[in-house]
Amino acid sequence: MALPQNQIPTAFEAFVNATSIDEACKALAIGDGTVVAGGTDLWVQKDEAHKTFGPRLINISNIEELARIEIGRDRIRLGARVTMSDILDNGDLGDIAPALCEAANKFASPQIRNAATIGGNVANASPAADAVVPLLCLDAKIELSKWDGKKISTRDVPADAFFSAPGQSVLAVDELITAISFEHPGTNPIARFFKSGPRPALEIAIVSLGFSARLAGGKLTNVRIALGAVGPTPVRARKTEKLLEGQRLTDDLKAAALDTLADEISPIDDVRGSAWYRQHLARTYLQEALHDAAQS
Amino acid sequence: MNKTIDREDIIGARVAKLDAPEKVTGRTRYINDMVLPRMLRAKIFRTDRVHAKILKIDTSKAEALPGVVAVITGVDAPDGKIGVIKDNPPLKKDKVRCIRDELAAVAAETEEICDAALRLIEVEYEDLPPVFTCEDALKPGAPVIEVDRPDNIAMAQDFSAGDIAEGEKASDHIVEGKYNVHYVTHCNMGVSCCLADISVDGKVTLYSQSQYPYIMKMDLAPALGIHPGDLRIIQPPVGGAFGSKLDVYPYEPICVLLARKTGRPVKLEFSREEEFIASPTRQPVEFRIRAGMTSDGIFTFRDISTLLNNGGYTSWGATTPYVTMRTCSSHYVVPHIRYSARAVYTNNPYAGSFRGYGNVQATWMLETHVDKMAEVAGLDPLEIRLRNANQPHSMTPQGSNLGCIDLVGCIKISAEKSDFLKKWNAYSAQWDNGERYKRGIGIATSLHNAGGAKIHKSDGCGTILTMDDYARVTVMTGASDIGQGSDTVIAQIVAQELGVPLRDITVINNDTALGPWDVGVHASRTTYIAGNSAKRAALDARNQILAAAEKQSNVTADQLDLRGGHVVQADNGEVVIETGRLLRQMHFAGEDAKLVMATDYYEPPTEPEDENHMGDMSAAYSHAAHVAEIIVDTHTGEIEIEKIWSVQDVGKIINLNGLEGQIEGGIAMGIGYGLHEDLKIEKGIVQNPAFRDYHVVTAPEMPPIDMAFIETDDHEGPAGAKGIAELPTIVIAPALGNALYNATGVRIDHPPLNPEKVARAIWERSNKNDAE
Ligand SMILES: Cc1cc2nc3c(=O)[nH]c(=O)nc-3n(C[C@H](O)[C@H](O)[C@H](O)COP(=O)(O)OP(=O)(O)OC[C@H]3O[C@@H](n4cnc5c(N)ncnc54)[C@H](O)[C@@H]3O)c2cc1C
Repeated sequence: MALPQNQIPTAFEAFVNATSIDEACKALAIGDGTVVAGGTDLWVQKDEAHKTFGPRLINISNIEELARIEIGRDRIRLGARVTMSDILDNGDLGDIAPALCEAANKFASPQIRNAATIGGNVANASPAADAVVPLLCLDAKIELSKWDGKKISTRDVPADAFFSAPGQSVLAVDELITAISFEHPGTNPIARFFKSGPRPALEIAIVSLGFSARLAGGKLTNVRIALGAVGPTPVRARKTEKLLEGQRLTDDLKAAALDTLADEISPIDDVRGSAWYRQHLARTYLQEALHDAAQS
Repeated sequence: MNKTIDREDIIGARVAKLDAPEKVTGRTRYINDMVLPRMLRAKIFRTDRVHAKILKIDTSKAEALPGVVAVITGVDAPDGKIGVIKDNPPLKKDKVRCIRDELAAVAAETEEICDAALRLIEVEYEDLPPVFTCEDALKPGAPVIEVDRPDNIAMAQDFSAGDIAEGEKASDHIVEGKYNVHYVTHCNMGVSCCLADISVDGKVTLYSQSQYPYIMKMDLAPALGIHPGDLRIIQPPVGGAFGSKLDVYPYEPICVLLARKTGRPVKLEFSREEEFIASPTRQPVEFRIRAGMTSDGIFTFRDISTLLNNGGYTSWGATTPYVTMRTCSSHYVVPHIRYSARAVYTNNPYAGSFRGYGNVQATWMLETHVDKMAEVAGLDPLEIRLRNANQPHSMTPQGSNLGCIDLVGCIKISAEKSDFLKKWNAYSAQWDNGERYKRGIGIATSLHNAGGAKIHKSDGCGTILTMDDYARVTVMTGASDIGQGSDTVIAQIVAQELGVPLRDITVINNDTALGPWDVGVHASRTTYIAGNSAKRAALDARNQILAAAEKQSNVTADQLDLRGGHVVQADNGEVVIETGRLLRQMHFAGEDAKLVMATDYYEPPTEPEDENHMGDMSAAYSHAAHVAEIIVDTHTGEIEIEKIWSVQDVGKIINLNGLEGQIEGGIAMGIGYGLHEDLKIEKGIVQNPAFRDYHVVTAPEMPPIDMAFIETDDHEGPAGAKGIAELPTIVIAPALGNALYNATGVRIDHPPLNPEKVARAIWERSNKNDAE
């Protein structure tokens, strides 16, 4: 479209360089804040007329507590400002959450990965957010914190209840994403992440698909399928998951799964791809995931 | 005995571009970096309509905004229009004809104030019925875009040779095809930018990215209402142009008008979004071809008609048929030819010139079609090309002597190096083997001008060469170096003649008040034309030096040589005198004082085409062949290029580094054209004005390129060189399309071969096979 003509984007008027969660949440409690982490979405969006921003810019990238990756026996906890590069560099995540690492690896370019945070990817709530897709497969929880006037209070929101529309989520104006956590999936999970794109770098997914499951006695259990860019938010494919759950992978079942998936997603035509192609890719990726699952 | 110096050949060496150190360390100062005292910033108000009557433009609120110094509209501008047929008023006051149209402009203290002021400009329109396709625009009663052209035809070209009916009679097979090539744009890393500065007496200095500063004076002056002589164009380093700056576009006169109105220097710079919307595109073309051959695959006739979507105004896009025509008429030997082109006004954006100039489009069409013809004739892709190949020194139907070409060599060497035939046979047998990933190999070739292109009355270039007291050389050339490396080549040519190290040469371009005339940087012409001029000026200076040396020594000038900063004896390299010392002696010689200076204007021995498109407009021609081997993911439609083999007739290598760089860069651009780049325009509006959704090739996708060069040693070119810069962009895309067919049995006639199109075509083919 032509250049923006009727809205003046908010200029940032104040800058808070927070060094603790406390400080960031207190600044957010004033109600006119904009959080900046890596800035890789924010700087691009700040000149877009349809977006409005609070004039108090709150930098969270120097908050050390938010930069931790905690690998517990039961739960994994990623601080909100953990970057895609941090995820790739971590020695344990490759085994624990291979699909998340695959998503981080296919994310943008090395320069952007060094800046882009997982919290920012979630908060930005793009239907094509790459890290969100494997997080949905991991049943991840988004930890939200705020200053309630006396202390920091937190709530956990399941990832699949977090998003409501493109760019929108349950995140309140005074809330900060402090962490993303998920249950330790045990050893050797089946987990894959697929993303369309002929370019090895700098590609926004036309479709992305995450798949995870366990194979017990030849049967699939804990099946999770999530997709990006096939609807207004990243989504779980629950009907397909249900069809596969507890079943042996026969050729008939695989075919039925592909048809069920095609039925339950309703992608649109846009400048990046047609609905037909999105359906076609979703089928292709699920087919490949099921093929791999059968091999493992 | 004196010291001796061996002869060193710098022609053909691997030389780093002279501007490389500054560029890689981020020191190069582009116009975008420049700041002049008291400088204002400017921004253009563009319409969001595609076809509308302008009823009222209200700029009063914008003018009242603090920090705004001037707001102008069409009423403030002289009546002079710009563009190839002068149909484009820089500021539109009556009518809007496409999405980018400029209605007003603001000069203010900062860019942010400009942006805020633009949002305060109010326009009332009366929408007019739009038209977007050539077909619709040619219908009787279609909306008229330009009043002077009620039939909506902006430009027309027709050529014929021989007799099509006779060609048809001689044909055993006739193959028809339709090819639509798409919109792409240059994607210069440096966005469009200019800076205007006006003296008290009204003379204009424009810092411009222009590729044709000298002729630009003539094109720009009427839009400013001044004499061309009162314009000085200064061209600081350019962050890419690729043809996009070969015309005057509205932003430059607008910038000058604002400088005049405010009495202050004004800089105007595009945003990236504007660069996508408001800079020229490559010309989209609809081709229809009927081509005949005998049962042996010998070509008999070609009948080609083309429609060009001209958009709202006419820039160089409408002239690309001049080049398209040559490929259509003269690439391979074809006795009977008919070609027609119509550029049709619509309410789309408009096209300019772009590296490859009409030949990227022509070669896509022709080389895809030739592969189809080979299949009909039962020949392989090499055989059909070899049987019909142009031969050295043959005359084309348009009256061009092709000179020392080697198309056969290009085909044979690329085929041999890539093991083409073996792979081609093996891969085409695998179409229906059920594998997901398939390999394919394809070839394409093309013909292009390689010794300038006389599209103006002169295709020349001037040089002024001076030497100082230390034998340092200053070469003022008319030629523009917009990044392609011509300064380095010119320095090499001069260094070779004058026997001085490369670093002792300063090449100065481009300031129209300093340098001598040049036609502009386009048509792969600069090394050839500017190189020849520099060589002749250097020879002149060399002769002056050697004549002086002859007087001082008892050796005649023809027995002397210049090497390593010294005059030496040619046979044994023995030093006679240091060149600088000799120059000082010449300089401080009292009444006989002499400075070594030389000037030259080189006009290539070519002629403009006549009204029937006959004429030998280039001093040399050249071919290249590209072979591409690819892997296709038949599920996602993604194509990975495994390797490219490029063989090109370059005449003679001057700078190996520069040559390889041009070929790599050209291929990257050609891959983008063939596979990814697609400026999507719907109902006249650009849908993807950002690199996010307009995919240029990035570094990790670039395949290895095996390059081979054929040195045919052109008799006219400097040191035997030919122009080389456009062919790499021209040839690769159809090689990729042909490889896709070899891999999958799927033909896509309309580029780009993006994953969705490929996946869909493969899916349709397999559904059809299942049904059968
Ligand atoms: C060239 C380029 C390529 C890209 N490629 C990809 C890609 O391949 N895949 C992909 O998914 N994305 C991609 N992106 C988008 C972007 O990089 C990611 O969404 C990234 O994860 C955003 O993180 P950030 O830290 O930079 O967020 P920021 O830009 O700092 O913030 C993004 C938004 O989230 C808010 N926010 C950030 N952190 C928090 C927090 N802790 N709590 C509350 N709100 C917060 C901000 O206010 C802002 O609205 C790309 C961007 C660019 C510029």
